[in-house]
Amino acid sequence: MILNIENINVHYGAIQALKDVSFNLNEGEIVTLIGANGAGKSTCLNTISGILHPTSGRVTFIDEEITNTSPQDIVKKHMIQVPEGRKIFASMSVWENLEMGAYIHSDRSQIKKRIDQVFERFPRLKERRNQPGGTLSGGEQQMLAISRGLMAEPRVLLLDEPSMGLAPILVEQIFDIIREINHNGTSILLVEQNALMALSIADRGYVLDSGKVVLEGKADDLLRNPMVIKAYLGGEAIGSEL
Amino acid sequence: MNTSLRKSIRPGATIGIVHIFFVLIGFNMLVAILFARVSGVKQPDAIPAPVYLMAYSITMGIWAGVAAAQKRKQEFRQVAFAGCVAGGFAGIMAGLLEFGLAIILVKNINVRDVLTVLSANFIKGTLFGMQPAMGVMVTVMLFALGGTLGGALVAFWNSTPFQAFLNRGIRFTKDSVQKAQGVTHGKNRLLWQIASISLLALAVVFLPLNWGSYWNYVLGTVGLYVVLGLGLNIAVGLSGQLVLGFIAFFAIGAYSMALLNAPLPYHLMWGFWPALVLGVLLAAVAGLLLGLPLMRLRGDYLAIVTLGFGEIIRILLKSDVLTAYTGGPRGIQNIGGPTIFGRPFVTDVDFMYLIIGAMLLAMFIYSRLQNSRTGRAWLAIREDETVARASGVNTVRYKLLALVIGAAFAGLAGAIFASRNQFTGPEEHSLMASINVLSLIIVGGLGSIPGTIMGAFALKGLPEILREFENYRLLAFGALLVAMMLSKPDGFIPSRRPKFQIPIQPETREAPKEQDHD
Repeated sequence: MILNIENINVHYGAIQALKDVSFNLNEGEIVTLIGANGAGKSTCLNTISGILHPTSGRVTFIDEEITNTSPQDIVKKHMIQVPEGRKIFASMSVWENLEMGAYIHSDRSQIKKRIDQVFERFPRLKERRNQPGGTLSGGEQQMLAISRGLMAEPRVLLLDEPSMGLAPILVEQIFDIIREINHNGTSILLVEQNALMALSIADRGYVLDSGKVVLEGKADDLLRNPMVIKAYLGGEAIGSEL
Repeated sequence: MNTSLRKSIRPGATIGIVHIFFVLIGFNMLVAILFARVSGVKQPDAIPAPVYLMAYSITMGIWAGVAAAQKRKQEFRQVAFAGCVAGGFAGIMAGLLEFGLAIILVKNINVRDVLTVLSANFIKGTLFGMQPAMGVMVTVMLFALGGTLGGALVAFWNSTPFQAFLNRGIRFTKDSVQKAQGVTHGKNRLLWQIASISLLALAVVFLPLNWGSYWNYVLGTVGLYVVLGLGLNIAVGLSGQLVLGFIAFFAIGAYSMALLNAPLPYHLMWGFWPALVLGVLLAAVAGLLLGLPLMRLRGDYLAIVTLGFGEIIRILLKSDVLTAYTGGPRGIQNIGGPTIFGRPFVTDVDFMYLIIGAMLLAMFIYSRLQNSRTGRAWLAIREDETVARASGVNTVRYKLLALVIGAAFAGLAGAIFASRNQFTGPEEHSLMASINVLSLIIVGGLGSIPGTIMGAFALKGLPEILREFENYRLLAFGALLVAMMLSKPDGFIPSRRPKFQIPIQPETREAPKEQDHD
């Protein structure tokens, strides 16, 4: 188990956003957290990456407790979050955005090598390396945001709604990329509203509702679960797609 | 024809309204005085000779004419006529105003409670010292004449031969600039750099000697505001934290210098240099202490809290409670100056060198920081704090660092300022001073060093030079800021980050060079 979340409770002031949430991620897996708006998915990610701290509970990353560790120290342990909404540094060039991803590393030649690898995987980003990030298209921005995450050489990549606001064809491209990253050895925790897409590439999934885990299991099982189909997959339409 | 006439009347009416406003605040006299100055009158009277007021009327007419004639692709005579109509209409409005003023004058009505400038002499002067009817007529004629001139000017400007001439001029200038760049950017680049730097150094050494005390005083103030502006720019321009009460750090520097190096109230007389160092340190510590609770705040909230901090410092300095310790509203006098190699600094010329030194130091530190790893972290925080955190930037540390270094700059400027003026008091550190500093970096261009210098000169230097405009400074401030934000929203000289351009050919691509000291 590379990442283990045990009974975390998270509060925003008086409001409790997460109630006794537990889940885990094994090495090499894609695990997805699905749920509606406000279910607490992003809160989970922010708690794991150290931006939020839980009021109680434990987060363990490779046998080490990181419950109250700061974000920069967690990044140093090679776990990085790609925030939701294609957040990139809009006025920095593509190259500079990628360098920011490797901010915690200081070995210049190593960074250079990583950037070359990213460019090999995403030739589009290479073409636009001197362009400000804000001028890229939506799909390219998401590509850049994920690539920036990869610059930190993550063992675990925390992806927050990578499909948000993208056209269906781009969503498929992005999910292909995620699958490929996973094949290359990075474990992935994927937070998604697009439950169908997320479950179709994930090994396992957890369903979050009002800050609680209400359902968990193998992705294939969840895809067939009547409750999931009703609540997140839009009725029976799913049957024909499988 | 009818619509054409209407099109000319509209700009005329606009200028007419502007003119009425100008007269009611006495701005016409001011312009006339300036005209008198320019044409060589040493000490013009409060009401200058009629000729200069006539020149003002013609100028306003030209303005109306130019406004009416623009964007018209018509024949010379028609454009000139449009200008004449616009000028004439503005003149009629001016005439009506003067008619009203004449009634006030004749019936001896007192309106000065509301419009302070409208004295009898002022009205007589506005009427060119003539009989009211005559004055009104002359005004209308002068405006119409100006309008015709303005229209003709525009028509001439737009005429084909002149445009061709202009284009040739522009092309020539461009070519020369390119050639010059070819010379300075070629293999002689280093030589050129050495030459220009040594020229600059010579200017720095010799200019203050020949400027005289007044200019050294004015430009010294500008220089201190450059240091102050750079400090604020680290917080606002580089790391994106809107700090409003920035002058508080300046005050801390100034009062450290005052309390440690003045005969009253303590007679500590530590000397300039220890007091300077302590002033800078105390300002930095204040930045740290203010910053710690601020780290949870962003944007508007940060601005409000820092605004409060600035006011608290000023009111504390002024309060009765601290009068025994800080001199209260009277401030502290006779602050001592520095001594270098046994030579005491007394004159503004001496201080000018000190200020130039402080400016160079501030500029050096600023540019090193901007291009460093730290600068990159600040930029990331400014762009998106959440993403910066997620990328592993220690946002709290870097935000604090920006505040501390910015405050230290302000402390340096404050300490030198107090020592140069040999005085400091609470009212020097008012909210207006904070707003001045913020305005100057916004007008100049957030984050840029040349922009800060430009802004400091525009907002602190120009008002000193245009002493006559003193009463209009706030008006000019506002107008300048509005005009600035409309035409150049990024400021006079926007910040240009060093761009790491990576060439397209992969074989020549190299890792971008960058200073790295963190």
